[in-house]
Amino acid sequence: MSDFVLEIMTEELPVSHVLAGLGQLRENLASELHGAGLLPEGGVDVFGTCRRLVAKADISPRQSDRQERVIGPPRSAAFTEDGTPTPAAQGFARSRGVEVSRLEVYETEKGAYVGFTRTEEGRPAGDVLPEILTRVVSGLTFPKMMRWSDNPFRFSRPVVNLLCLVDGRPVSFRTCGLTSSDFTFGHKIFFPERKIYPRSFEDYRDSLRTAAVVIDPGERRARIEEGTRALLDPLGASVLADAGLMDKLVYDIENPYVFLGSFDEDYLRLPLEILSTAMREGQHLFSVVKSGRQIARFVGVADVRQDDRGHVRKGNERVLKARLKDADFFWQADLKVPLRKRAEGLKRVVFQEKLGSYADKAGRLKKLVVYLCGKIDAGRTKSEAVAAAELCKADLLTEMVREFPSLQGRMGGLLAERQGLSRAAARAIYEHYQPAGLEDASPSAPLGAVLSLADKLDSIVGVMGLGIQSTGSSDPFGLRRNAHGACKIILDRRWVLSFGRLVDMAFGAYGAKLSLPPAEGKAAVLDFFANRLRFIFERQGYRYDLVNAALGAGIDNILFARLRLEALNALRLSAQFEPFILMAKRVNNILRGEPACRVNAGLLVEKEEKALWDMFGMVKDNAAALCARGEFVPAQKMVFRLQPALNAFFDRVLVMAEEKKLRHNRLGMLQAVSRLLLQVADYSQVVVEGEAAGP
Amino acid sequence: MRPDPVRPEGEGGAADMTLQDLIMNLQKFWAARGCYLAQPYDVEVGAGTMTPDTFFRVLDARPWRTAYVQPARRPADGRFGENPHRVQKHHQFQVIIKPSPADIQRMYLDSLSGLGIRLEDHDLRFDEDNWESPTIGSWGVGWQVMLDGLEISQFTYFQQAGGIDLPSVPVEITYGLERLAMFLEEKDDIYDLSWSADVSYRDLRHREEKEFSAYNFEEAGIKALRQQFGLFSREASRLIKRELLLPAYDMCLKCSHVFNLLDARGAISVTERVKLISEIRALVIQVARKYAGRKDETGEAGRT
Repeated sequence: MSDFVLEIMTEELPVSHVLAGLGQLRENLASELHGAGLLPEGGVDVFGTCRRLVAKADISPRQSDRQERVIGPPRSAAFTEDGTPTPAAQGFARSRGVEVSRLEVYETEKGAYVGFTRTEEGRPAGDVLPEILTRVVSGLTFPKMMRWSDNPFRFSRPVVNLLCLVDGRPVSFRTCGLTSSDFTFGHKIFFPERKIYPRSFEDYRDSLRTAAVVIDPGERRARIEEGTRALLDPLGASVLADAGLMDKLVYDIENPYVFLGSFDEDYLRLPLEILSTAMREGQHLFSVVKSGRQIARFVGVADVRQDDRGHVRKGNERVLKARLKDADFFWQADLKVPLRKRAEGLKRVVFQEKLGSYADKAGRLKKLVVYLCGKIDAGRTKSEAVAAAELCKADLLTEMVREFPSLQGRMGGLLAERQGLSRAAARAIYEHYQPAGLEDASPSAPLGAVLSLADKLDSIVGVMGLGIQSTGSSDPFGLRRNAHGACKIILDRRWVLSFGRLVDMAFGAYGAKLSLPPAEGKAAVLDFFANRLRFIFERQGYRYDLVNAALGAGIDNILFARLRLEALNALRLSAQFEPFILMAKRVNNILRGEPACRVNAGLLVEKEEKALWDMFGMVKDNAAALCARGEFVPAQKMVFRLQPALNAFFDRVLVMAEEKKLRHNRLGMLQAVSRLLLQVADYSQVVVEGEAAGP
Repeated sequence: MRPDPVRPEGEGGAADMTLQDLIMNLQKFWAARGCYLAQPYDVEVGAGTMTPDTFFRVLDARPWRTAYVQPARRPADGRFGENPHRVQKHHQFQVIIKPSPADIQRMYLDSLSGLGIRLEDHDLRFDEDNWESPTIGSWGVGWQVMLDGLEISQFTYFQQAGGIDLPSVPVEITYGLERLAMFLEEKDDIYDLSWSADVSYRDLRHREEKEFSAYNFEEAGIKALRQQFGLFSREASRLIKRELLLPAYDMCLKCSHVFNLLDARGAISVTERVKLISEIRALVIQVARKYAGRKDETGEAGRT
């Protein structure tokens, strides 16, 4: 095996771009190498920092030889009965440069043909790689791309160097305006000019380590964690966990060193949320807690080791002091202005150009939370919900949120609590931006969940009502994030409510502001949510066809969509499942293109059709009742009971009877069965073995 | 008098460097790298990016190198001279180089070393921070540069200006001069900075901050400002028709500053805000498109 290493060196990439780039390198490079016969086993390992994307693999030094069949004319045309080659055979052989005697007979799907086997000699890896590497590197995509200089190429940030080695020998390829080299550079401050010529991947990794760069993110993470413990264990303290900040530091810093700083204890009078935000944003510092309480220390991670003079610590302390002083000033000033008074100013804060102000939004939220409280049996807290809706956006006007936008919501909640709003309402305001994504927690109490759902849905309906859609990589106004949050709340809370009616309410609250007609807008929103639910469920590992089958039965009740899916998933391995799917498909197939028909029990002639109708009558009421209660496992088992009757019906009864009356009666019966099944799941979407995938 | 603007480093930085040393040092550095040293533009702007030496010069494919100090006015940031680091006027050192050189990051690091900052002792980070100014139809990709946790520069590769995809990509480096000086002088209060050996920032600017804060927040005549906005806007339109694009752009800058003043006075409603911003944007985009010789000059086409 040969040692392959690729390094794309860039100016500083954002962490999300490093992760996107490494993910694509791992996938795309492995599949290209595999396709070229250079990666017989194993995959591609990736490493990286904000300044370099690195891939490593054990590859074949050359492609294996490939046998290829060249097919010529049919045997009947190539040879006479006694085996003499015809002019057709001679012509074919001549045109391909082989002797007629080499022609063999191959049995193909289309019959017997003559041809010959040619050996395609494998090429050395070094010959095949350049094309692959150019394609893979130039094909990398990032959340936001840029151009630089007079270059037509686009990348996340300017590419400054490309290195590619196979067994220490350079492989030359071109992309992004550069030709790849056999050298790289170390840390940008300590080793700016010195070229490093690695002889292997190990040598590459070790040489960079001596040049103050650790390429393995896991190693950097461990160093930060160990360094932090070494500083804080003696204090009996620990950092306030912050996975996002940790990821950023792991990738932003090529050679991490942890340092401990402190600030004036007076500032401990600030709420933890504010202190930790002031530290995290801008300076990327960890807060330090001891027994659950913040202490007047911080942990930072720097790209340089600290000397005795501690420039980095002192510099950070000085900056933090100014920030905390501001934060303290804002906090004291904001406490003095009642949120209710702040809320009056929301008239002047734009929510969205065409959708008006945040005061308008608060008005709509009031209507939506009242509706929602009624639906989820939180009617007693209606007045608290209304108060929270009125005030939830008021903190946008506080000095604190202007300085630290990420405190929105939480700041409002902190102020509300101190200004005497009920704890439940204050909590609702505090949590109403949650969940910020599928990984984030839903609000901890029903009131916050109501407010958050109302807020998210109002934003989605407003933006989509203007005809704005999320497409590809662009997610205008966080439509997807909001939809994920809305779905997560309903699912986490296990709320049974009509999503369609909620969407109607949200459209209604906008009055005439939206450009799409409500029916069209609603269809777009429901379609969008169906797609988001598909994404969420597939991400949770459910089979795509089961997801389609669950969603095909409708998403008006989002909780039920998941319960349907869970039921399908639970029953998918049962003995009845596959035969039943095939039967359901048979029912659907026979109904395709047929007009809607009615059943007249008096027209049932055969024993089997009577039996089916009787069975259906029994199953129908039970299954419908189970579906209405969201009990989809028993509901499915209930409809499975139709199977024997359906089998007998199809075996013995001619559905497409000559006589129209009989035919329509039988079709009507199957239509009724189909309608019932669709209440349980859209079985036609389930893929069973031996069937082409997908509808 | 100081014979040499760059001093060997003291305890934590080139502590004896004054603001004007800093300016002279950066001017010398960038002039040596081919930048023409422009003088500050004489119309109020919110950032160095808005001056003609940047705005017009980035629109075409011709090489361009300039460096200049630009006072930046942000009326709503005034604090009556009472806040140690917030002011309604600060100074930017703006560098524009087109096309962006391959070694621009190295040049920038060298410029910091040239200020006497021993980078080996400090934590210097390039932190993602993309720039966007819808008012002038412009955006770019880049970083804020953090030195021991203090933002000292913005580093941006322009991608679009005036609604136009730029044919040749300029790099913009904006040093926040007061920030950098506070770092170098190890001062916690902007007014304690030394502009020169004998003149402090307080001497020079404190009264100005106090009076302009009072003007921006309390005294600016709302009615007169609204009239000015209308006058400047109409004048810009008229000048665009006459192909007098540089004067037309001046009128746009004046509109922008008047808008900022009205905003600081809290005199702009939601609908008005949207209307005024899109009015300025439409004018600016027309200017940019005409200047770049585009046919589609409607001002709507380039909205991002």
